[in-house]
Amino acid sequence: MGALFGKSKPKEEKHQITEQDRAVLGLKQQRDKLQQYQKRIKISLEQERAFAKDLVKQKKVDKAKLLLKKKRYYESLLEKTDGQLDGLERMVNDVEFAKIQVQVVERLKQGNECLDRMHKMMSIEDVERIMDETQEAIEYQKQIDELLGNTLTDEDETAVLAELEQITQQELQNLPDVPAASLPATTTEDVELPDVPTEDPGVTKPCSIGII
Amino acid sequence: MTTAKQLANFQWPWQYDFPPFFTIQPNVETQTKQIQAWCELVLDYQKHIKSYAIDVQESLSSPLFHNAKIKRKLPIDGVYLVLNALKDKGLLEWQDKKMSRALLMWRSAEEWAKLIFNWAERSGMTNTVCTLYELQLGNDVKKEEFYEIETWVLKRALRVLEKKGKAVMFDIQPNDNDNSGGVKFLS
Repeated sequence: MGALFGKSKPKEEKHQITEQDRAVLGLKQQRDKLQQYQKRIKISLEQERAFAKDLVKQKKVDKAKLLLKKKRYYESLLEKTDGQLDGLERMVNDVEFAKIQVQVVERLKQGNECLDRMHKMMSIEDVERIMDETQEAIEYQKQIDELLGNTLTDEDETAVLAELEQITQQELQNLPDVPAASLPATTTEDVELPDVPTEDPGVTKPCSIGII
Repeated sequence: MTTAKQLANFQWPWQYDFPPFFTIQPNVETQTKQIQAWCELVLDYQKHIKSYAIDVQESLSSPLFHNAKIKRKLPIDGVYLVLNALKDKGLLEWQDKKMSRALLMWRSAEEWAKLIFNWAERSGMTNTVCTLYELQLGNDVKKEEFYEIETWVLKRALRVLEKKGKAVMFDIQPNDNDNSGGVKFLS
């Protein structure tokens, strides 16, 4: 190759190619070779068939038979390679899947370690102590509340009640007035109501349409 | 070799049926335009027949430089003018000192690299290994533009990706044939 497109090889980054990558490449290379082999066999197959046809035309049936036998043999080879291809592809998938599994486990391990470290930062005793202290603090607060609550004198109580009364009064004042004018007379007497039926309606048949 | 069938639906430019197109124009400005049109035609033609190489002697009598309908041929000097113009664009590379054969890229390595990497990303092939053969002739790439790409073009494209840190080429047995290696696309 000339200088123009030059073969300037970049530094090989070996570390990015793992053992698994090599294994996968090997498997895939083998697969490619098999596929090429299959192509070759398929071409031979067609040729043999064409030859056989020609031979039959020339009335050389024995030779044609021989060729067909050869063709049959090629076909069996093709079937075998199909099986091998299948095996190879499965292996590639297995390796790739295992690789992913390893990564998943790796991540889980990381997560677990992180959890562990965080757990170490807080021991059960600590938590118990903290919870106890919190409980104590709550109770302490309650006591204070009670003490404070009880310190309200009767005077305060009346003041509270008075304020409450005041607020309710205000609320009442804000209510709309009762309308002063009387409502226009209604004409209830004129409305004619249907009479109550005197006969028994008997058995009703609800929606019997469509049901036999 | 090119067959008439291959060229059946090739869109020739209007100049192809215009006799003066086959004579190198003396006027510099006209000539520049003419050469440019020829370059485009050569690239389109090679792309159409999916060929990555050109043989000067062969091409002289191929439909590319020889329009039988109007009985016009581009003379050999003209062919060299066109091919060297392509070389100046970085798309052509002579394979011998006599300049009888050349490699021709109708799409630059960078463009190929982009196409291939896009495919790899689209089909979830990043971080996995592909063989070069798989990229050229695999069942998964039958509909891709780079199907049946020649090994040397593919390798150039992959080298572009390597420089960008998007791929690593490697092989188990380095002495195997040309396209036996593999490539790992990196995300």
